[in-house]
Amino acid sequence: MATTAAITLNSDLMTGALSVSGNTTMMKAGTSADDLDQMKMGYNKIPTGTSFDLLDATAAGIDKATKVYLCNESTDETYYVTIVIDAKIIGRLYGGDWMFIPWNQDDATHDLEITATGGTNNITWIAFHEGETLGTSGD
Amino acid sequence: MATTASITLASDIMPNFGGYTKSMTLTEAGTLTDIKETTGYARRQLSAASKVDLVTMANLLVGEDTTNLSHKIFIKNIGYRDAIDKTTGVKVYINSVEVGVLYGGDWMLCPVVASDNEDIEVEPLTDDTVVLEWVMFYEG
Repeated sequence: MATTAAITLNSDLMTGALSVSGNTTMMKAGTSADDLDQMKMGYNKIPTGTSFDLLDATAAGIDKATKVYLCNESTDETYYVTIVIDAKIIGRLYGGDWMFIPWNQDDATHDLEITATGGTNNITWIAFHEGETLGTSGD
Repeated sequence: MATTASITLASDIMPNFGGYTKSMTLTEAGTLTDIKETTGYARRQLSAASKVDLVTMANLLVGEDTTNLSHKIFIKNIGYRDAIDKTTGVKVYINSVEVGVLYGGDWMLCPVVASDNEDIEVEPLTDDTVVLEWVMFYEG
């Protein structure tokens, strides 16, 4: 089955309605036959005001084909989280918004960070990736 | 008038992962008002490994307004001449940060900040020809 992400995007803003679809099979970087083989997911309550690392960039993730899905599950439309990569703002996800992006951990500072505004924001996230190994236990 | 986006994720990486589906309506920041402005659907052919502007913020009604932050962009790497090449990728930059690489067939939907002089840029990994399709929705 592999790992796939499909989108349907519809808009009637223009006189001719827009309907776009996409469907990608997630492969390891630069390959056409080797599927991504690792994933992690979570659900977090993000208190307002503090910036948190949602996903830490690692050397194993440099130039890989990581994909990240992130949804702000907050039901209050005025709540939002600010998405930051490498200390620069990418954009905001308001309550109900989601995003799906490739994430190249270009270097160790390329963390994916979020900051909540308005109140405690509830976040669902899924990362599909490759190449991660567990660290040896230190105790 | 509404703009909606739905995603479906499926995977056999993790046993018992049942898949995931989510829909959203694109609205103006902090409201339930439908977003009203769009660039329209566009395509851009690239044939050189050099960085170019995909979206120039100053050309949009939004200009470079950092307070209206419900803008979203959809970009899809459709390959070239109906051939999807998973080995040909294009880097995407928002606010001068490399977000990631869209390989053949990959797509992204991402919120966008309209920072001063910070356009949305793309940079193919190689000189191989690749075509991007994209549309941006934004607040005017």
